[in-house]
Amino acid sequence: MRSNALEFPAPDARAGTVPADRVGSATSEQRGRTPDVTLIMTVVERPETLDELYSEYALALRSAGYTFEVIITAEPFYRSLLAPLEAVAADGEPVRIIGPARTVGETALLRLGIEKSRGRIIVAVPAYRQVKPEAATELIAAVENGADLAVAWRWPRRDALINRVQNRALHLVTGRLAHSRLHDVACGLRAARGDVLREIPLYGDFARFLPLIALHRGYRVVEVPVAQHVNDLRGRLYRPGVYLRRLVDLLGLFFLLRFTEKPLRFFGLIGSVLALPGLIITAILGIERIAGHAIGHRPLLLLGVLLITLGIQAIALGLIGEMIVHFSINGRRSYRLFATAPAIGAAATSDAPPVVDDMLMEVEVAEPPRRRAD
Amino acid sequence: MIRPALSVVVPLYNESECVAPLVNAVHRALADEREWELVLVDDGSSDDTARIAARIATSDERVRLVRLARNYGQTQAMQAGFDHARGDVVVSMDGDLQNDPEDIPRLLEKLDEGYDLVAGYRVRRQDRFVTRKVPSFVANRLIAWLTGVRVRDNGCSLKAYRRSMLEQLHLYSDMHRFIPALAAATAQASIVEVPVRHHPRTHGTSKYGLSRILKILADLLTIKMIASFRERPLLMFGLGALAAALLGGCFAASWLVIFATSTTPLQYDIAEAYVLPACSILWAALACYLLLLGLVGEEALQNSREAGYEDIGALAAGGIE
Repeated sequence: MRSNALEFPAPDARAGTVPADRVGSATSEQRGRTPDVTLIMTVVERPETLDELYSEYALALRSAGYTFEVIITAEPFYRSLLAPLEAVAADGEPVRIIGPARTVGETALLRLGIEKSRGRIIVAVPAYRQVKPEAATELIAAVENGADLAVAWRWPRRDALINRVQNRALHLVTGRLAHSRLHDVACGLRAARGDVLREIPLYGDFARFLPLIALHRGYRVVEVPVAQHVNDLRGRLYRPGVYLRRLVDLLGLFFLLRFTEKPLRFFGLIGSVLALPGLIITAILGIERIAGHAIGHRPLLLLGVLLITLGIQAIALGLIGEMIVHFSINGRRSYRLFATAPAIGAAATSDAPPVVDDMLMEVEVAEPPRRRAD
Repeated sequence: MIRPALSVVVPLYNESECVAPLVNAVHRALADEREWELVLVDDGSSDDTARIAARIATSDERVRLVRLARNYGQTQAMQAGFDHARGDVVVSMDGDLQNDPEDIPRLLEKLDEGYDLVAGYRVRRQDRFVTRKVPSFVANRLIAWLTGVRVRDNGCSLKAYRRSMLEQLHLYSDMHRFIPALAAATAQASIVEVPVRHHPRTHGTSKYGLSRILKILADLLTIKMIASFRERPLLMFGLGALAAALLGGCFAASWLVIFATSTTPLQYDIAEAYVLPACSILWAALACYLLLLGLVGEEALQNSREAGYEDIGALAAGGIE
């Protein structure tokens, strides 16, 4: 996939034409050292005017005093929307545009951005407005205060009822499946330490569930309540196919989080649910046979045998899964150690012994829900 | 600090009341030993366990603390402890004070006789009869019967291991209940048992329930497969396929018998003519399917061979010591 990636014209090509007063401070600093923040914007759905969006985020980051770079990854379908951004890049703004040659999906776009990122903190933003751009700086602050991943939580919600119902349904499911108490997995604005995102394997369609995967891997995930953006209030209903895909994603996530190391528990449950009725049916038929009745013509016998063979198939699949896990586990460790987050703003002094008593104890910190919007 | 000869590994999950008494008990029990360390593993406790353990670890040079990022479960906690233990001999123990550290020297004596793994078994076990002892008895018998590793008490955490053996043992999923069987199967360990004391729980609450029985059944099937077929998955699935094919044959045969012995002309109604052959075909299909799965198993085995069983060493850095 990497080989398919085309980098769109780099700003350097026309750097000579940039007026001196337009060169942002971030640009000049970025040449020398790594920026504080890499902002990755994935353009996959409902894109808004990208250059306006860019300048809003740039303003927010600049006024908070961060050096930054912006990576835009876009599906080929939206390539026409990128022209204004190329102009912005030509103006010397720290923008890089990455477009894969074919449609790859949100997760692959995000991963592409993460691979190219250099910032100590990575902020992932959608190409539309869910929350105010200033929320990004609040998330960055949360990460600087020790969180591994900070998620924006649109609260209080003021959008259409239909959105809230969908959101509630999604979190009912994720809460059950992933034992998570997160309130807004669907909000695309997240900030994380760069090394955390580079460590989490992102594949399939799991970008959406990044906070859940991070929680599962033992990272400190923090929710930051932020006010919802006006553009996000309109009710949204998607095509049935979209919901079907979400459902498949959830099933995949469920398996990933709960059963990757113990597939037989999953397949064994399915197998026994299938095989048990089959065994009962054939046992009843067997008793009838012993009592002297012919059973060779009973369709029920066929059903019984079918259920048993299906059940055995499921269990056999689980066993193969267990065998693959057993072979692949060698030397790999499924736990992660608790580590105090390295200081981000300051120079890294990782040799200093961590202060034991002041370590953060929380895995998940949710701030009180009743914070009014400014 | 010099490398200790003995490491005691204790996984802790919400045992804040037990930590300090536990450390004292280990100190008392090992007063005669020269070089030992106590590796406390905090398995993402939500209470004060980590804080208390960290305080002890900073003041007591024999005690080290390994903290896991979240609650991973006892297996992962034990593996983390083993990974950070530095002794040539490692002893694992429960953190709830139901095991008695005074038994450790006896385990060590036995280990010195040349065994790789010394498993304690609890005499006069102080637990609920119906919810703990009976299922445990059945499970131990099942494990012994399925794996051929006759250990009376797989559930007792008090065990001593030789380091060379531990390095070949990889715990994952919920395998801490099957350490002897897994050690025998994957590390060719020689195992012996020693009776140990067992105390009633005085602090905290028990963290097990009856619901784990179903999970244990699935794990039992897995451990049986690993113990008997990890070198030849095709054989296991082949045997299954053979059984399915035989059953299919029975159905086909009984159908033929009905044909041959029937005196009246056969009524070709659907049920008479098709039920038995259809059953027979289902079994035959299952046999094919199992054979193919067996090939997938061989594939997995082959891949792991070529990957070369890469061993410990690539441990995640970090943690508190």
